[in-house]
Amino acid sequence: MLKRGGILAFFPLAWMIVFFVVPTVLVVLLSFRKRGTLGEILPEYTLEHYRRLADPLYMGILLDSLIVAAAVTLLCLVLGYPLAYHISRQSRRRQRVWLFLVILPFMINFLIRSYAWVILLRAQGVVNTALMKLGLISQPLPLLYNDGAVLLGMVYGLLPFMVLPVYISLERLDRRKLEAAYDLGATPLRAFRHVTLPLTMPGVLTGATLVFVSSAGMFVVPEVMGGAQSALIGNVIQNQFLSARNWPFGSAMSVVLTLASLAMIALMYRAFRTAGGKEPI
Amino acid sequence: MDKRRFARPLSAAVLMMALALLIAGCGGGSKQTLNVFSWTDNFDEEVLEEFEKQFDAKINYNTYSSNEELLAKLQAGDSQYDIIQPSDYMVGTMIQLGLLEKLNKANIPNAANIVPTFSAPPFDPTGEYSIVYTWGVTGIAYNKKYVTDEIDSWEDLWNPAYKGKVVLLDDSREVIGMALIKNGFSNSTQNPDELRKAVDDLKALVPNVLAFDTDNIKQKFIAEEVWIGTLWSGDAAFVQAENPDMEFVVPKEGATIWADTIAIPKGAKNKELAEKFINYLFDPEVSAKNFESIGYGNPNEKSRPYHSEEYLSNKTIFTSDEDLARTEWLVDVGDMLQEYDRYWTELTSGH
Repeated sequence: MLKRGGILAFFPLAWMIVFFVVPTVLVVLLSFRKRGTLGEILPEYTLEHYRRLADPLYMGILLDSLIVAAAVTLLCLVLGYPLAYHISRQSRRRQRVWLFLVILPFMINFLIRSYAWVILLRAQGVVNTALMKLGLISQPLPLLYNDGAVLLGMVYGLLPFMVLPVYISLERLDRRKLEAAYDLGATPLRAFRHVTLPLTMPGVLTGATLVFVSSAGMFVVPEVMGGAQSALIGNVIQNQFLSARNWPFGSAMSVVLTLASLAMIALMYRAFRTAGGKEPI
Repeated sequence: MDKRRFARPLSAAVLMMALALLIAGCGGGSKQTLNVFSWTDNFDEEVLEEFEKQFDAKINYNTYSSNEELLAKLQAGDSQYDIIQPSDYMVGTMIQLGLLEKLNKANIPNAANIVPTFSAPPFDPTGEYSIVYTWGVTGIAYNKKYVTDEIDSWEDLWNPAYKGKVVLLDDSREVIGMALIKNGFSNSTQNPDELRKAVDDLKALVPNVLAFDTDNIKQKFIAEEVWIGTLWSGDAAFVQAENPDMEFVVPKEGATIWADTIAIPKGAKNKELAEKFINYLFDPEVSAKNFESIGYGNPNEKSRPYHSEEYLSNKTIFTSDEDLARTEWLVDVGDMLQEYDRYWTELTSGH
């Protein structure tokens, strides 16, 4: 490989090793280390952290988190696909403006944007104040600090991860195939169902993977917008590294979360393949 | 390999390094640098500037947001810090891990100025490694506009009238410790039955709780998103200044007392200057000025005459001796911490 790609292939490979392989290996190794009473990482190996994870408490939270991630992915798809479709139908110039608007929120820190939602949705927030002034409600609505708010925050934050790959696959779509469908008498709905959708599935799968993985381990949104009982696996992992000072247990939890996410993604790809689709990469 | 491809970034890097050296050089001279690693807003700006002038030194002030972050940095080694400010329980942990230097009290005569209550706290019983810098109590804060009953017990948080308007600190030891105290146990119990009883009690409270919050809890009280909850006295004083309807009480069952200390990490490069800095901070006049600005409880007895009437009469900042007598420090619970964390996971995930 080095011969063929020469120096050009070396950099991506080095990049992968330094930023992906080494950290992952370190986390896996850490997950087998023994924890000292003061939170030190002892030079002994143990399986106790994995045994402890079998507790229905942790497995239940993991399952909750995967269900939330699946819901977020589905919502991002339902909202993101039409948006990407709409953008791809615009003139070149307008497309650039739309894409800029989709990417714009990334220029502000995600934590700050989550707090912005707090200002909008809290009891004395912009939305409740406006609705009360208009006389539509007499008591502030509980828009924040519940599981619905967590879902909203995650969908909001991760929507661009769905829109961009879907947009790219819509852009690459060979329009002549659609014309052929119409020529053969297909209705717009049928043409979409049998031509556009299958051809853009690679973009959908890429987007779904990005959204699912990002939401499965998310801890910022449940912490800022969630209620007293909204903690997900990301929050539990964060706690192990901070208040509980149990880095090995937190690492074991990360490893299990990663494996569970990979399994879910593999299932998604498999379902797609049996439906006769083409792989994205 | 094409050398020119690297030539440009390389010369840019060299230029940057030269610039960095130049900038660093300008500030340096013969001045000593004191590397302070602390919480945000933990000093009055002018107090720091005055030290720099008096001692011809430069203070490099970096901040952390949790004791665990501080611990992780120190454990990584070669942290370069001369002054750190761990909280009570973390001092105990750091002493056991051998991460703190013993203070040379001969260089810190002003250390004698602090009230005897804080001269030998349980986390540093000999007082050799740390000096209490700020302190406070975790009590109940409530808004008297909405909460009209008399509040004097932790039991009041469980009042169904406040459903959805209760906030608790996002801290397992603080919250579980509160429920332990309410049930008449030590806030740092290692007895599994006592712990279980306190957690069962909390499970009845959590459905009434709007959120667990530490970072943004002051805002929740000020904006009246919550009516009642647990709060640190220093934060309560801040909230009261913004919202005059806020009250703060130390419940009759007792409460948790806490302190941030000042200490020197093992291997500090400028230990002597660090000790001069500590001594300077505990100078009665300097310390009065410092604490008027940061608004926390000043443990410095000798600085009383220099404080304003307003500061001294603030009951939220200065817990009365009677209230103080009912307080208890959180101490390290060893391996039981994992049990506390498991219960905390149950409470916050609703499982």
